[in-house]
Amino acid sequence: MNSPTPAIQIENLTYAYGRAEAVHDLSLSVQPGRCYGLFGRNGAGKTTTMKCLLNLLRPQRGQVRVFGLDPAKHEVAVKRSLSYVPDQVAFYPWMSVRETLDYLASFRANWNRMIEQELLERFQLDPAQRTGNLSKGQRTQVALIAAVCPETDLLVLDEPTSGLDPIVRREFIEAVIGAYQQGIPGHRTILVSTHLIAEFEGLIDEFTLIDRGRAVLTLDADLARERFQKIRARFAQSPPEIDLQAALRVRRDGRELELIVNGAGPELMERLRQHNPEALSTESLTLEEIFVATLKA
Amino acid sequence: MILQINFKSGMPIYLQIVDQIKAAAASGALQPGEALPSIRPLAEELRVNRNTVAKAYSELESLGVIETLPGRGCFLKENQSTLRKEVRRKLLIEEVDQAIVQAHHLQVPRDEFLKLIQERLDALDDKRRAHQDHKED
Repeated sequence: MNSPTPAIQIENLTYAYGRAEAVHDLSLSVQPGRCYGLFGRNGAGKTTTMKCLLNLLRPQRGQVRVFGLDPAKHEVAVKRSLSYVPDQVAFYPWMSVRETLDYLASFRANWNRMIEQELLERFQLDPAQRTGNLSKGQRTQVALIAAVCPETDLLVLDEPTSGLDPIVRREFIEAVIGAYQQGIPGHRTILVSTHLIAEFEGLIDEFTLIDRGRAVLTLDADLARERFQKIRARFAQSPPEIDLQAALRVRRDGRELELIVNGAGPELMERLRQHNPEALSTESLTLEEIFVATLKA
Repeated sequence: MILQINFKSGMPIYLQIVDQIKAAAASGALQPGEALPSIRPLAEELRVNRNTVAKAYSELESLGVIETLPGRGCFLKENQSTLRKEVRRKLLIEEVDQAIVQAHHLQVPRDEFLKLIQERLDALDDKRRAHQDHKED
C-alpha cells in the first residue's frame, strides 16, 4: 500500500546561526490529518525548524518538503497550502481588526467569512479596534482567525500560547479544535511547537521532542503515555535489594520507592510484586512529564 | 452524560471515550434512541482532537453500540449488541480474566471477589432503576 505524501517531511535538517548550531540533523515526518507536536525548551530549535518550512530560512544541510514540495522552489504553492501563527504576532498598528483581516484575506484565494464572524464573536473582538491597541492575547486571536479562515490543509503554530493567560490559552485551543479541524476528517494537518505541553495534550497525535537542535524522542502520544509510567511501591520494611536498572529514574525515601520507566513497566511491576509490597500502584506520565523525564534523564 | 479524559490512565484517549459511553449505556445514563453529543462540541469540551472523537464513534458503531443517522448525528442503538453470543462471551471473558488477575495481586480471595461482583451488579441495577424512575417523573 502506498502511503500518502507526508504533509511535512524533514530530512537531516541542519541550520546554524554563524557558529551556533540551532538544528542538527533533524528528521521527522507528519502524515496528513495528524496533529503533530514539536516539543522543546526555549532555544531548542523549534522556531528555526518552522522557519525552514516557511522558506524564511534556507536549510544549510538536509531538506524540507511541504506536501512533497520544496518551499524554496515552490514558494507560492507551499504558502498557499499552509497558514502560520508566529510566536511574535505583528500587524500594522494603525489598521483596525477589520482592515487587518481584509488585508490578509486579499492574499488568499479562499476566506471563510462565516468562520471569521464566529471567531470574532467567540473572542469578543471589536472589528473597529486598532490592532495597535490590542493586548497580546487579542493579537494572537486575530492571528489565529487569519490562519483559520483561508482553510488551508496545514496549520503551523509556533509557540502560539506562550505569554497568554490561561483562559485565552484554553479558548485558543478550543478554537483550533472547533474551527480549524472542521471539514473533511483527516485533511487538516497541524504542526504546533510549544513548551506549554499540558494544554495541547488532548490534541496531539504524535510528537518529536527536540533538545539542543536534535530529535531526542519521536512517539505516538497514546503509545508514549502507555510506555512512560510512574510506579510507586511501599514496603513493610526498607525496600529490599531489587534490580531496577531498567528504570529511567529511581527515588527512594524510607520504605517507599518511586520509579519512572520507559517501556519496562510491566516487568518492573512484576519484580516489585515478588517482594510483597504493602502498596503498589502505577500511572502514566502526561506528555509534559515525559518531556521533563526525558530531558532530565 | 459527562465524559472525562484521564491522561494518566495509560489508556488511549479514544478508548476512554468508547468505554465511558459503553458504561453510560449500561447504567442507563444514556438511553436507547438518545442522541450522543456531536463530535465538534464534545471534542472542544474535552479539548481533544476531533479525529479522536470520530475514531471513538466509529469504533462504537462497529461494535453495534451506536448508529449514525446521516445528517442527524449519532444515537444509542435500541437493540444493542449485534455480536453473536460466543463473541460477546469471549470479549467479556478477557475483561473478567483481567479482573481476576488483579484480584489475585491485590490478595482478594475468591468468595470476596464473587461477592464484589454481586454487589457491583446490584449497584448497576439500582442506577438503572434510578434513571428509569427519573425518566418516568
